[in-house]
Amino acid sequence: MTTRITGGRVFDPANGVVDAPRDIVISDGRIIAADGPSGANDEIIDASGCVVLAGGIDLHTHIAGGKVNLGRLLMNDDRARFPEPFGGMMCGCGGGRAAPTTHATGCRYSQMGYTAAFEPAVVGANARHAHLEMGDIPNLDTGGFLVLGNDDFLLRMIAEGDGQQAVNDYVAWMLKATQCCAIKIVNPGGINAFKFNGRALDLDETGPHYGLTPRRILNTLQRAVTELGVPHPIHLHGCNLGVPGNVKTTLATIGATEGFPLHLTHIQFHSYGTEGDRRFSSGAVEIAEAVNANPHISIDVGQIMFGQTVTASADLMSQYRNHGIADPKKWIGMDIEMDAACGVVPFNYRDTSFVNALQWAIGLELFLLVEDPWRVYLTTDHPNGGPFTSYPHLIRLLMDKPFRDAHLERIHKAARAHTRLAEISREYTLEEIAVVTRAAPARTLGLKDRGHLGPGARADVVLYVEQPDREAMFAAPRLVLKDGDIVVRDGEVVALKKGRTFAVHPPSDPLMDKRLERWFDEAVGLKSSHFQIADGEIRDGEGPELVETQP
Amino acid sequence: MTSDDESRDDADRIVTDVVCGFCGLGCDDLEVAVSGRAIRPIKACAEAARLLARPDQPPPAPRVGGQETTLAEAAAAAGRHLRGSRAAAFSGLGADLDGLRRVFDIAMTCGASFDHEASGGLFANLERLGRRGWIATTVAEVRNRCDLLVVFGPDPTLSFGHVFERLLPSAAGDADAAPLFVAGRRRRVVIIGGALSEAARRALAGQEVVEIPVPTDQVALAAQALTALLAGRAVADLPELDGIAPALVALVEPLKAAAYSVFVWNAGVLSTRDAATVAEAAAGAVDVLSVTTRAAVFPLGGRDNITGAHQAALWRFGYPLRTSVGGGTARHAPDRYATATALKDADLLLHVSAFRPGAPADFERGPVIALAHPDTVFTREPDVFIPVGTPGVDHFGHVFRMDSVVCLPLAPLRNAELPSVAAAAEAILDSLRRAA
Repeated sequence: MTTRITGGRVFDPANGVVDAPRDIVISDGRIIAADGPSGANDEIIDASGCVVLAGGIDLHTHIAGGKVNLGRLLMNDDRARFPEPFGGMMCGCGGGRAAPTTHATGCRYSQMGYTAAFEPAVVGANARHAHLEMGDIPNLDTGGFLVLGNDDFLLRMIAEGDGQQAVNDYVAWMLKATQCCAIKIVNPGGINAFKFNGRALDLDETGPHYGLTPRRILNTLQRAVTELGVPHPIHLHGCNLGVPGNVKTTLATIGATEGFPLHLTHIQFHSYGTEGDRRFSSGAVEIAEAVNANPHISIDVGQIMFGQTVTASADLMSQYRNHGIADPKKWIGMDIEMDAACGVVPFNYRDTSFVNALQWAIGLELFLLVEDPWRVYLTTDHPNGGPFTSYPHLIRLLMDKPFRDAHLERIHKAARAHTRLAEISREYTLEEIAVVTRAAPARTLGLKDRGHLGPGARADVVLYVEQPDREAMFAAPRLVLKDGDIVVRDGEVVALKKGRTFAVHPPSDPLMDKRLERWFDEAVGLKSSHFQIADGEIRDGEGPELVETQP
Repeated sequence: MTSDDESRDDADRIVTDVVCGFCGLGCDDLEVAVSGRAIRPIKACAEAARLLARPDQPPPAPRVGGQETTLAEAAAAAGRHLRGSRAAAFSGLGADLDGLRRVFDIAMTCGASFDHEASGGLFANLERLGRRGWIATTVAEVRNRCDLLVVFGPDPTLSFGHVFERLLPSAAGDADAAPLFVAGRRRRVVIIGGALSEAARRALAGQEVVEIPVPTDQVALAAQALTALLAGRAVADLPELDGIAPALVALVEPLKAAAYSVFVWNAGVLSTRDAATVAEAAAGAVDVLSVTTRAAVFPLGGRDNITGAHQAALWRFGYPLRTSVGGGTARHAPDRYATATALKDADLLLHVSAFRPGAPADFERGPVIALAHPDTVFTREPDVFIPVGTPGVDHFGHVFRMDSVVCLPLAPLRNAELPSVAAAAEAILDSLRRAA
């Protein structure tokens, strides 16, 4: 039994297919070659009038784990304002928009044509929790990025000069133990410095206790993931998040990569200058120029969207700095297990605020000024810049210049005078949207059978009815297929399927087991064997889907 | 977990590194001897020893109306009662995460409110945490950074046997040994509350301990006074605090000078109002101190995986416990859905208690379904009783540690003859599906 999707306009940039009329044939949950004649047993899906894309992939969205649950706790009003049911098949459990429940997360992503989403800040000590939540999210494949770079074991190893091989063994051990698929660094050394009462740490500043600079921590971990062959480069939330003038730090960070690839996440929050009366200005032009000139750099934007949300970050140093502007007035901070920390601060981004309006414009400038779509991934850093449910609106802002200009007219007047957005005529094409929401994230994460529609790919396929209103188009696909089964019809969830969880398992020297046994016993106070997550604990015994490492 | 010899069925097997899911402290270095069905604790605190010990007896069968029956029959009877209910209350919720997940599925399917047996302290703390938040910390941070620990209330070792050994180990000399970041490796511990037990004093032998005796019903007042003093506010004449005011005043400078002070209290042993006041005062003290140094709260609690129940309710429903779900909606009303209140309007009680023999509350308004420990002594024979195994004794299971960050894997010690809560709940769900 095969399924043939026929008559649609296919956008599959990973395979060089752009706006081509071609059939997509599915057998056993995978796409197969469509050369053969259609068989008598084919189930035919008529895609005429539709644009056909691979399933969407969000590589940076805070969907699971302790800090998300703290967000849910703080956002009870938001939860009540966005109750069940949320359209289509009613699984009936959950709601919320800024910090939605696991089921609402899966259903709402699925309703927009997404089939995979990655939690980019898994703290080792909380990894088991994050995996339990991810396993409860329907219709999405998931994966976690492990937060390193503030963990005392690593910092001590670097400070004591244990050497790169030991660091590599540790990173490999931790990736496997926590069943994660990439390494994230959040404010390298900064979270750790805050535990010693350090309040700021710039790229070349020496942190307390270990005497390490963020640059050194960054470069050591860049080398580790490169040598271990982890597909995704270091996923960096840099120093000085949100601080006016941080554009300098970000440019220095781009220059500090020693040739190793680097992903700069939610770069909008790191692209601020200090020009003008209000000492807050856009650094987007300089950042975009630097990204354009450095092909080993990739970014996601972390676009802010106006309205209520909650920010959840491992960067307690920054969140402590920002907690005074929490809206509503509550926030939670936490130091975590010699690993990292978290800070959860509700925010309400307003277009009437100069700073928020300019942040909005800076994000769009970055999207539009960075030329190579293969190095940009579409994110709002959900929920930090705004809930992921705003993606269709964001896509229209990128694809529709008059729509964008109309919105620009509405924002704070002074902010309008500080942005070049009106001068930028670029409109994203459907091909570029297919790259930034599908093909590019799959490629950087090393997912060979996701993000494209060639033979062998998982049959995660989306049919959007072509229409001039791109927001309406991307908000409610005609059909979403997950592993070949229809899960969304006309924007409504009609089936719930279990997803998979991606992990990498690079090998490590068994001597590292011994070292960590002692460390966990004596410093952490938890047995290393109980810290490590067994394959069978992932998704009720399904185990992880391993992503190949290529040292 | 390791065993010395898996092949000798009838001889004692020594199992080490057993993870404990009872009090919430998450000790994972327990040791037991297992022989057939019998479990004999070797290394465990008193409470864990009591709750881990098992005789070599076959487990009881499920009962319907007092008559022994099969799991399938008992589940079918439970399903019939649940289908006939219009206002079910689920209580206890002492289960691992998988068990809770299935119990929540039943709640979704039939409609029910739910609450955990030990939620009083949690909800007192949520008065502060949910409304304003706080800065908290976790076990390993306390072990390695805390140079001044302030305890509000009665001796915490009465509820959490090894709390001081876990949180404040004395330096063992090894370069890896906690505390890694405490100058001189000696910490100051200030108890504002009841007198310490001998065991607690022994556990704190390496530390500098100050006991400020305060009767339990005055602990909240003392906590408020300390925070006021830290904030530089004048403390009105409080006759109740006579005698201890100088000790509180003397604590202000050390707290300001501490690198990483930590405030602990067990909300579960204070009155709800006092617990909420202590939580507010402790979080307030941390707010004041954080301007110039580091400090954090570490609330004690977490019995029978209440932390897991809280977490799972949040990720599943977007609300904490004391929520009513079903009919496509969820409604969080802590006052209304606290077990004691919910039972005044309920027409069915489903009680879950896998960690200890905890009987359901007295309930006469409708049927009682118990997924409970085999040793449970009921005041009224439940309409349906399904004896369930204990996670970490009979089954695998995940539970949260009290700091709400670390989720621990519990492994079985013996062959499961009792269904897990998840299996019992699944059997009930199955009967509901078949009837649908």
